[in-house]
Amino acid sequence: MRKSYQVWLPILLVCFATVAASAQSFRVQCPTSTKTHPNAANNNSEPTFVGPTYTGTNGYPSAPANVNGAIKCQQISGGDGYATMGDGTQTYMFSFGPLSGLVDIANGLPGTEFPNVFNTVYTGGTANPLQPGDPATAIGNGGTFTYNGAIGLVPDVDGNGGNGTATAALTGHVDPRQIMDVGVMNGNIPAPMMAIDEDDEFFLTLTNVGMIMRPDLFEQHTVHFHGYPNASAFYDGVPDASVAINIGASFTYYYLAPDAGTYFWHCHITPPEHLQMGMVGQMYVRPRQDRVAVGGNLYSALQQQELDLRMKCDSSTDILCSNPLPAVNTAATRAANGNYAYNDGDGSTYYDVEYPIQIHGFDPNFHFVGMTFNPEGFSDMKDKYFLLNGRSYPDTVTPGPMQTVSADGTNHFSQPLPSIISIPAGKKALLRISDLDVTEYQTLASLGIPMKVIAINAKLLRDQAGNNLYYTTNSITLAGGESLDVILDATGYTAGQVFYLYTPNLDHLSNDAENFGGLMTEVRIN
Amino acid sequence: MRATNMKKIILKARLLAPVVAVALLLTTSAFAAAPGITGPTFNLVASPAYITQPDGQMVYSWGYGCNSAPTGFAPAAITNGACGNMQIPGPTLVVTEGQAVSVTLTNNLPTAAGNTSILFPGFNVTTTGGVAGLLTQEAAPGGSVTYNFTAGSPGTRSYYSGTQGDLQVEMGLYGAIIVLPSNVPTACTSGLATKNLQAEGAHGESDFRLAAAAYDHAKSCYDREYLFQFSEMDPNIHHQADLQVQATGTCTAGSAGCSLNVPTEPYHPAYFMINGRSMPDDMDPNYAAEYPHQPYNGNPHMHPGEQVLLRIIGQGRWQHPFHEHGNHVRILGRDGNLILSQSDANSLAGPLLFTTTTTPGVAMDGIFYWTGKGLNWDAYGHRPGSSDPLAVLSCTPDLNGYNTGDPTAINYYEWCQDHDKPMQASPFGDVSGGGPVTLPDANLFTNGAWYGGSPYLGPDATTRATGCMPTGAVQSNAPNCGATGSTPPSGTIANSPSGEAGFAFMWHSHNEREITTNNIFPGGMMMMMLVDSREFVIDESN
Repeated sequence: MRKSYQVWLPILLVCFATVAASAQSFRVQCPTSTKTHPNAANNNSEPTFVGPTYTGTNGYPSAPANVNGAIKCQQISGGDGYATMGDGTQTYMFSFGPLSGLVDIANGLPGTEFPNVFNTVYTGGTANPLQPGDPATAIGNGGTFTYNGAIGLVPDVDGNGGNGTATAALTGHVDPRQIMDVGVMNGNIPAPMMAIDEDDEFFLTLTNVGMIMRPDLFEQHTVHFHGYPNASAFYDGVPDASVAINIGASFTYYYLAPDAGTYFWHCHITPPEHLQMGMVGQMYVRPRQDRVAVGGNLYSALQQQELDLRMKCDSSTDILCSNPLPAVNTAATRAANGNYAYNDGDGSTYYDVEYPIQIHGFDPNFHFVGMTFNPEGFSDMKDKYFLLNGRSYPDTVTPGPMQTVSADGTNHFSQPLPSIISIPAGKKALLRISDLDVTEYQTLASLGIPMKVIAINAKLLRDQAGNNLYYTTNSITLAGGESLDVILDATGYTAGQVFYLYTPNLDHLSNDAENFGGLMTEVRIN
Repeated sequence: MRATNMKKIILKARLLAPVVAVALLLTTSAFAAAPGITGPTFNLVASPAYITQPDGQMVYSWGYGCNSAPTGFAPAAITNGACGNMQIPGPTLVVTEGQAVSVTLTNNLPTAAGNTSILFPGFNVTTTGGVAGLLTQEAAPGGSVTYNFTAGSPGTRSYYSGTQGDLQVEMGLYGAIIVLPSNVPTACTSGLATKNLQAEGAHGESDFRLAAAAYDHAKSCYDREYLFQFSEMDPNIHHQADLQVQATGTCTAGSAGCSLNVPTEPYHPAYFMINGRSMPDDMDPNYAAEYPHQPYNGNPHMHPGEQVLLRIIGQGRWQHPFHEHGNHVRILGRDGNLILSQSDANSLAGPLLFTTTTTPGVAMDGIFYWTGKGLNWDAYGHRPGSSDPLAVLSCTPDLNGYNTGDPTAINYYEWCQDHDKPMQASPFGDVSGGGPVTLPDANLFTNGAWYGGSPYLGPDATTRATGCMPTGAVQSNAPNCGATGSTPPSGTIANSPSGEAGFAFMWHSHNEREITTNNIFPGGMMMMMLVDSREFVIDESN
């Protein structure tokens, strides 16, 4: 909402005469190599983990013993959009939308890409230009949409001294028309999913395309990576503590991936407003252990990790680390299929399939007021729609992306993620559960298949002596700002069985005035 | 940190758009610690008074206070402690494990309010005097009761009224009791703990801790501590109580009509407080004169590497997801019960949380620190080749990778793996180039009030990083300074680039509507935690 900061500007030095091309407002950043990942050829896939990056007390500028991880990039728009509620209501929201990995997002995957995918130029040309509503528009017209690169990325003709496109490099220069055509009102709930691996460098470009339905607001947006240990205040996305990007400009957040876990992210501008209005998304970091060669001993791999002080968990000196070597060496080896949620060293966080689930709630009065320039009552806020991955039951079990018509008359994929939890019989599913509700706690219970909680707030449940502290339960309770990881084990279950994940906050099993729906989805054994 | 005392325009209706015109006045330094009074005999009173909120409202409330001057104030380094006859939260009682504690409570609430009392969960309490109540002996109007117990084990616990709790706790009758360990482990008075203390002393900082450890356990050492009590207020309830108290006047206890009948449902809080104050009032000093009945603040500061003890209590009646930006918190114990591994009593087993949910009736202790480990760039903006001596400091890693050899170093506790590593590709000023990121033109940003002025820590690094050096400055220019964009606008109010330039992290309730004061954003349950360079002295003596 409106808030005016009176910022005094004793400008030390103004160098307007020497403003260079880097002053361009929209731009993306995805370097193909960096000091940490110097070989561009290796940065488009995850190298196998064979040993720590640095050993002992060595660090930069020594040459690393091994280069781990790669480079990952993503672009998102900050603006507004519309979503469809469980009772069919089209609801206005402030939201982030995808400006990279559009195909992946529409398929329910993260929109995070390696440089060789992110740094590709759209080749539809004038015959098939990027349209508002893409990829929904292209698919709705009977065509296909296959472009996963950064929307707007074009060869930097201006930077090439007017020598044409053939020799112009990809410097991050973008075509604003493509960004505005695709980015305006393409908001998603949840916001575009991000997923990276430990040791990756992540470049996240936030492009502020403005909120078309609120021309009175000159709102900035930010990205707060919630839960990052030892976060940087500059990149923490809290506007009061750092910087926020203005309309018509891009800011690239940079992080070396934090420890593996289920985090989440959201805008931090006027949080009571922007979070309620829908600027919330999912984010997780995959563990190094996933990259151990198949058959490799997990305990030894964790011992290798402990040789790098950045990865090490020494309980005698670091009170804030949670994955010391396990008390019991199970001699587990890296499975041929499936993955791990954390660097457990004993295989105990193994899973076959994974499902990120984000809990949220919408207050329809607040959203209406948010669209119509009226004053907002924060203390009156009361959610009436209860969302899992942006949808209420039964939409939670409708496969494929959901579409909503926006105020511009265009269909957009507003809610790309169903919450159907399909588990092959006898296998395990990892639920990465986060909650960004703005007003109250919510409980998610499991009818028929128990939940094993293995981590809370992106930290493995293990004590300092290495004992696992996992527990089994039938429900988990979260407030906004919390996350945890749950394993559902379908051992002994048979194909065809269906169970429910639902909320025992029974008033949340509703879609506003409809007394059926709400925070509920299905677990399907197949 | 320079404190801010924001004056806000009082808005008529609570549904008005939260337009806030902010004029920030600078007052004296304002830091937190966990101040309180010492005993072990305490003479408390329950009294009414009006407390203030940032929207200008005066809210009728009840609180515990001192009936006579206390034995003393803690920590000793805070010298302006005061204890009047009403404060919210009540006076923090600081005792030592093993002491025989005696708390006499006198009831100076309006007669119509009836009896009052104190519950001390976690202790085995016997009473003297008073009248029988449901949960404990109570003090009748004008009367007294004495509670006796032994401070059996260390930790942080709450205390609150055991009489008509739905009204009396809402009105403000709650507080904290801290039990310090009787046997501080030698690990907490030697080794790195001693070095951390030396680092403080090297820059003229005093020790504001109540003790060197939270428990009789070697893993509970800390260098700095804060107490945060979370509560909320529904102004309608307080207003009703005010009206009824005025209507009943000086009635005789027990006579007809001499009672209050204040409905406490439906519950619709509009004020959300940390230590009895809403943001930004919580950032003003402890014992600030403008809040005579709200002496405690919430304004955490720390240096990189310091182990910070957080004593967190849920008062009131709602849960609050208290989210600490910047790192996780290791929960040591709950209600004074240390959580240890089943197989090894030397190992902790409490969870690591980035959101430490507060629950009414639950108190917890946790340890937090910030070092910037794993950022992959030098947060101090060091640049070899600079003529500024602070830009070319060395980083000698200890066995854990931190620069702890010399406690007097400005970059004490720097994470050495990232030392000298550049972040920016082509920086504006005197920091290293060749990094992975290009920052946009500074005119595309909006700066926050707590933005230090650059991505780097400390006034020296920030000055170096934000432009070409003035003629004659000792710092040298980076080769391309001035060629890559204009200088970021500086002069942020609460964390100035030339003064503090710390890293600010918001600590707040993540039920985001609770970071409002009566529908005005920002407000409510919010604090800014500042990680300060050693160049900036953290002085909690107010």
